[in-house]
Amino acid sequence: MRLKINRVILDVFEGAEVQHALLMYLVRRRMSTKLLDQLAVYDVWGHEIDQQAPVSEHREIRIKFKDTK
Amino acid sequence: MRKIVLSALAAMMVSAASAQEHRELHILSTNDMHAAIECMPRLGFVADSLRALYPDLLILSAGDNRSGEPINDMYEIAAYPMVALMNIIGFDATTLGNHEFDSGQEGLAKLIDMSAFPALCANVHPASKWNMHVKPYQIFDCGGLSVGVIGAVALGKLGIPESHPDKCVDIKFSEPLASIQELRWLREKCDVVVLLSHLGYSTDVEFSKELPWVDIIVGGHSHTQLKGGETHNGVFITQNTNRLKRATHSTLILEDGKVVKRMAENIEIRGQKNENKVVAALVQHFSDNPAFKRVLAQVDTPFENYEELGCMMCDAFVAEGKCDVSFQNAGGVRYETHDVGGFTVSDVLRLDPFQNEAVELLLTGKELADMLLKCYENDGHSFPYVGGMKAEFTVDPATKAIKKLELLDMNGKKLNQKKTYKVMTNSYSTAICPTNRKDAGRGIGRITAELVIDYLQHQGHVSYQGVKRLTQK
Repeated sequence: MRLKINRVILDVFEGAEVQHALLMYLVRRRMSTKLLDQLAVYDVWGHEIDQQAPVSEHREIRIKFKDTK
Repeated sequence: MRKIVLSALAAMMVSAASAQEHRELHILSTNDMHAAIECMPRLGFVADSLRALYPDLLILSAGDNRSGEPINDMYEIAAYPMVALMNIIGFDATTLGNHEFDSGQEGLAKLIDMSAFPALCANVHPASKWNMHVKPYQIFDCGGLSVGVIGAVALGKLGIPESHPDKCVDIKFSEPLASIQELRWLREKCDVVVLLSHLGYSTDVEFSKELPWVDIIVGGHSHTQLKGGETHNGVFITQNTNRLKRATHSTLILEDGKVVKRMAENIEIRGQKNENKVVAALVQHFSDNPAFKRVLAQVDTPFENYEELGCMMCDAFVAEGKCDVSFQNAGGVRYETHDVGGFTVSDVLRLDPFQNEAVELLLTGKELADMLLKCYENDGHSFPYVGGMKAEFTVDPATKAIKKLELLDMNGKKLNQKKTYKVMTNSYSTAICPTNRKDAGRGIGRITAELVIDYLQHQGHVSYQGVKRLTQK
């Protein structure tokens, strides 16, 4: 199953949740998987989605670091 | 005098008619609760408060009430705690989410029978042998307003909801849109038509073009946080993220029997004060469930290190996942020792607490080795534990990189680099190993802890003292 995170295309397993795609993204970008909790995730319309959302519902997602203010 | 009386009566009738022209329907909705039972007391309080203001409040769930909390999912009657809690809160209806099918056909049928509210799903047609009472729709009388509620669930690639295929056998699934359109006649019969959708936000938006006769779509599945609700193609849509972070209170205003205004507000649930104490007591009862102290198997010799426990988990993946080999990231084995005696459900949930899904992959020997190397690299330079095979490796002390890796079967024979093996691991390991492989894998619709529980039950006795499958040269 193909998913786009920001501009990175990833092949994730069937049944994956957004958190699994984010882990793949972090590993691909050689970033620590500990950053997972700091990521805010949005769909293409800009709605917040949670990390347990099914990937099949989101062919494209956007991530950014959570506002810590 | 008679004329005056008649005029007064006429005036009273006009006044009564105009008073009836303005009506309101209030809906409290949740979606994708995923067994967040710790939030149910707060939801109960919110439901009570709204019901005090609006006695004809309709409480709806857009599906995926279960799967996400062992206290619920591993209860003797799997997922019964959520049903009991929804009953006591006073839910009026739920649709079936894909995870409702995780209970299996008989389990789901039993849960529906135990529910004090109907399961509505227009595109689910169980074979009669399951005795599963799923209705396509139901009409509710909300203080004189006739409210038609239709349910629908999303279908995945296989034409079934995203659950284990075995759990969908002998249930027919029809295309959601066509199934909903067959109920268009509800528009003539009802003041308000609600679609209780486990289809996902983008599908809800797409379907809104075809469903101008629906007043509101109470959505779920994609865990999309809307600010109250949104109107698309004239249809109002609501949805929240999962695990009861929020619920939605929607208000539909009717004038002359027609919906003229729709609005919604999010109500914070998770982490908020004020709880329904009866619901809280019931949650406490389920949390203290002695079933979690149930002994699954006897440990004949003590587990003395992480690898012995990791090997047991991997054997569970091979046996219960019916595969050739397996692996488990080392960081996912959460304790080191276990004494002789009973191995309980709670022990398994402490050993493997992450709710990771079991994932099956078809990999060549070469692809499997690549994945194991990646897992080592991305799991704190700890080699994963393995089942159905052994691993010998050499580590460069300077870089911690593995210089050489050999995979052997249980008889010591090298695994064939070109042969395809059926491999089972967990979703976390699959995610941290993005290698160049043909098969991305697929979740089997069960969490790995369930495989371990089944394995221990099937074994009855286990002994892993001295078991060692990883050799660092």
